[in-house]
Amino acid sequence: MPERIRDNLAIATAWGLFALAISLVFFYAPTEKVMGVIQKIFYVHLGSALAAALSFSTAFIAGIAYLTKRQRRWDRLGAASIEVGMVFTTLVLITGSLWGRPVWNTWWTWDPRLTTSLILWFIYGAYLILRAAVPQPDKRATYCAVMAIIGFIDVPVVFLSARLWRTIHPVVIRAGSIDMAPAMIVALVASLAAFSLLWLILLRQRIKALELDERLFSLEQRLDGDMP
Amino acid sequence: MNLFWLLVHKDLRAELRRPEAVVSMVFFGFLLLVLLNVALPPGARLAPESAAGVLWVAISFAAVLGLGKTMSREKDNRCIDGLLLSPVSAETLFAAKLTANFALIAASELSIVPLFFVLYGDTFFRAPAVLAGVIILATGGMAATGTLFSALTAGTTRNEALLPLLFYPIVMPLLAITVKVTGMIFQGEPLAQYVSWLYVMGAYALIFTGAGMLLMRPVLRQ
Repeated sequence: MPERIRDNLAIATAWGLFALAISLVFFYAPTEKVMGVIQKIFYVHLGSALAAALSFSTAFIAGIAYLTKRQRRWDRLGAASIEVGMVFTTLVLITGSLWGRPVWNTWWTWDPRLTTSLILWFIYGAYLILRAAVPQPDKRATYCAVMAIIGFIDVPVVFLSARLWRTIHPVVIRAGSIDMAPAMIVALVASLAAFSLLWLILLRQRIKALELDERLFSLEQRLDGDMP
Repeated sequence: MNLFWLLVHKDLRAELRRPEAVVSMVFFGFLLLVLLNVALPPGARLAPESAAGVLWVAISFAAVLGLGKTMSREKDNRCIDGLLLSPVSAETLFAAKLTANFALIAASELSIVPLFFVLYGDTFFRAPAVLAGVIILATGGMAATGTLFSALTAGTTRNEALLPLLFYPIVMPLLAITVKVTGMIFQGEPLAQYVSWLYVMGAYALIFTGAGMLLMRPVLRQ
């Protein structure tokens, strides 16, 4: 199957999956008794969190692969997944904040999960800043691989430390303790599937864009006569 | 091992001859201790944990200042090329830089910590041996993280300006634990209350020393 048709097929499937997930969320899953309709944001929240987690694990593996194999495609995979992961982490933080305002009566609290996501956002934001600061492709790839590995190693420490960062707000209830009706779980699975596919599509598009960037860069260099 | 001491000796002697790093670190740390005081209402006394936060913000900011120095010094006269040509392994180089950085930060702490007690009250001065242990563990973690990142940022166009942006997100958890533990010491809580966090701090220092040893080679090869 040609690449373009495959990509378009994936995008069409993602549209379908999102339509399905959204209708399941709003028409099939029951409205939560206490929180009401605001609970529906949870399906977006968890979907984005899954995509973010996939991104950062992918970047870690790609970082190791680049340092051992020295193939540029691992660098592209790592960079693309961190870019996409930053978008989804931002979504996680925003949706969580929107949910927290009516339910916890605060936009933000120093709960372990919230703090961990925020610190991760900073770590991978630093990755992107580092990426922009190194013009030489090989050097950039190595530095970014190192940063992705270090950032991922830090995650367990971040989570441990977040547990004592501040005493947890008394009204905070963890998302995991929400009892879910079976219909809610169906809607959740659909939205997780939709978000995973969206993640894959975005990742693929970013990798392609980075590929074009690199080709453009080498063409420019050839024009300047820097490279044979 | 001999090479390792040679490198450490070289870095520390350069610093002793012209103590630009330590002097600016201590000065900046002192400045921060005074600056952070503006957050206090006049006449108020800080809660133990807030005081610990003030102390560690001052120390870690001063540390970043010094961490950039040891690597950029190698870059100035392209000394790094000489180092790479010499029969020193990347691991040895990392260990030596780590030791030198540790010594620099520790030296600045020798002034910053007493100044802190002078400015913020010696009622916080309890269990000096435990406090020293906490400081050593935190300094080890900061030095390990900072050594790797200073090697990294030395190779970028933005040089030392980039170091704090990479350094702080990674050490944030370590600093959070350190502040909490230091606050508990200031409050006079028994060691058993926080001893498990000391293990986490030690683990952080070990993990990042290990990671730095492994990752220094690819970074230097560029």
